Amino acid sequence: MRITRKAAGAVAASATIVLALTACGQGGGTTAEPGSGEELSTDEDITISLAWWGEPDRASMYEEAVDLFESEHPNITVQTQFQDWDAYWTARATEAAGGSLPDVIQMDLSYLRQYGATGQLLDLEGQVGVNLDVEGVDDALLESGAIDGAQYGVPTSTNTLATFYNADLLTKVGVEPLAEGYTWEDYGAWIQEVSKAGADMDPQLYGGADFTGTFWFFLEWLIQQGVEPFAEDGTLNFDEAQLTEWLSMGQELRDSGAIYPIKQTKQLDPLGGFHVNESASEVTWDNFLAGYVAESGEDIQMLPIPSGENGPQQFWKPSMLLSASASTSQPAASAALIDFLINEPEVGKIFGTSKGVPAVQAQRDAMDVEPGSVDEQVVQYEEDVADVVTEAAPVPVEGFGEIEAEFKRLGEELQYGNVTVEEMASQWFTFANDTVVTE
Amino acid sequence: MLLTAFPMVASLYLAFTDYDLFHDPSWIGLQNFRDLFADSRFWTSARVTAIYVLVGTPIKLAAALAVAMLLNMKHRGQGAYRSIFYAPSLIGASVSIAIVWKAMFIDDGIVDRIAQVFGAPAGGWVGDPSKTMPMFILLATWTFGAPMVIFLAGLKQVPAELYEAAAVDGAGPARKFWRITIPMLSPVLFFNLLLETIGAFQVFGSAFIISGGTGGPADSTLFYTLYLYIKGFAQFDMGYASAMAWVLVIVVGVITTILFKTSNAWVHYSGDNR
Repeated sequence: MRITRKAAGAVAASATIVLALTACGQGGGTTAEPGSGEELSTDEDITISLAWWGEPDRASMYEEAVDLFESEHPNITVQTQFQDWDAYWTARATEAAGGSLPDVIQMDLSYLRQYGATGQLLDLEGQVGVNLDVEGVDDALLESGAIDGAQYGVPTSTNTLATFYNADLLTKVGVEPLAEGYTWEDYGAWIQEVSKAGADMDPQLYGGADFTGTFWFFLEWLIQQGVEPFAEDGTLNFDEAQLTEWLSMGQELRDSGAIYPIKQTKQLDPLGGFHVNESASEVTWDNFLAGYVAESGEDIQMLPIPSGENGPQQFWKPSMLLSASASTSQPAASAALIDFLINEPEVGKIFGTSKGVPAVQAQRDAMDVEPGSVDEQVVQYEEDVADVVTEAAPVPVEGFGEIEAEFKRLGEELQYGNVTVEEMASQWFTFANDTVVTE
Repeated sequence: MLLTAFPMVASLYLAFTDYDLFHDPSWIGLQNFRDLFADSRFWTSARVTAIYVLVGTPIKLAAALAVAMLLNMKHRGQGAYRSIFYAPSLIGASVSIAIVWKAMFIDDGIVDRIAQVFGAPAGGWVGDPSKTMPMFILLATWTFGAPMVIFLAGLKQVPAELYEAAAVDGAGPARKFWRITIPMLSPVLFFNLLLETIGAFQVFGSAFIISGGTGGPADSTLFYTLYLYIKGFAQFDMGYASAMAWVLVIVVGVITTILFKTSNAWVHYSGDNR
């Protein structure tokens, strides 16, 4: 019982002690004057902290980039830390409540509003032109890191969705890859076909996973129908009937057992059936290619995602934003680090396309794009789909990260057969209506 | 004292507020508690924890007692055996064991293969909601060291004359166990029962690791503390999490009281005249 109390207490302690602090520390909403920041000092010893989410792989890249930064700014020391995605947001939320966010944090669109609108992030506008150069970043892309005119983050790269398929496996079972211009229904039928052809293989081959359980794909599907998923005032612009329609699309696949079993996915976590060559296709963000190629070792190809009623329509997702904490005592050094990470060509070389295709041309040019390499494939893909990227990325509502996680959880329950499509739709809406913070 | 008391008071306050870590807490009275009792996942987590406590604790105690009795027999190298049987308890709660445990129970893991030898259908336990609870109970049972050592100490206290007298009267091993060992051991048994029950309510680390912090698959390992954590730190509903913590404190308090009350009926302290 003692531990229970302690746990409850710890929760409360971190929260309450600092309430007073955050109350005075919250200057959210005030917009910095452009170029009002101070110049970075070159003789004073400065220590700043940097946090990101990712795998050990990404960590070694960040360490390398940070070493370069430190050698260019000998008076600055950067303390680094990283966690996986879930743990990362837990740690940041706790720090935010305590007003002690790291100086520079990797930020995702899903959480930008939550942190930005509540005064946790520094408006970088004041640093632009002083310690931070954003000339190389496309205007629309830069805009995605701003809320109500305040620049809370700078995207370092772009992603877009792709359908990956394993060409070697398809040859083995004698099924043709999908032809461009295919619809979501076509994709479902194709998964059926592959699963049928691969039923006798050992291990059994499946056509793909249950794509209806991913929130972003649902948003993509809405956009393809001309629906802007989130309204200006931060409310949801779609209803239960639309969600039901989307989820129903996967019902036949779930009923017939054509999709990669959730039971196995859970065991492979964080990998999936596609990584281990037991599933022939997967829809996800294009920067996942490197991971797939490394795990599977087979010929992985990419296609644009399925089309909707108005043909193929995709959006760029600004990816891996960098933000500075509103409570930082070193805004100049923090801005300089962000500047270095988005602009320095050497950094582009280090990361390649592992965070998506770099936003700044100089970094794109610096990448060692060898013919046949993963980086080339991703860059090539983004060039190829550029003309079907016709839509703007939805601006996530406050609470997006939570409703996305709930969507994933209920999607799994659906695959286990514990809830029906209608139950999932109604439970998700109940949760979302409770969670989304409206202005 | 202050370090415990202050956070407790604070969490009691937060239990009556809507607090998401980002905005200031706002007083909402009993709303959190009303939501709690209407929340199907709350009841799922209560059920999961109840099964774990009701099934897991007796099995663990039985295993601990059985091993303690084996170790209480006179033979060479007793000390070494005791250490060996205690070892799992030292490492059982650690993160690495949860990871190894998961590896043992996945598809084609060692447990899956052994089960297939005995004719069970292929397939790991980790992804199958109906098999995750047995897996957790096995993990808990395996860490029987602490109650075992306490049982062992209790067994040493039982006077050998009692067994000798019983043997003279022609009592068999089963009769000796039920008429001498259990009654003489009842204070120790009660102590262990109390400790293990409370401990079972608090299982968190292994559940967190094995399900990746989600309580999955399909909420089959959504232990109460894990759901509390998810509410507080994944969904940022700190007021709700505080309310859950207080419900747990009350429930554990009530159960402890009940155990104490019933103990009068079955626990025999030596020197007692009853």
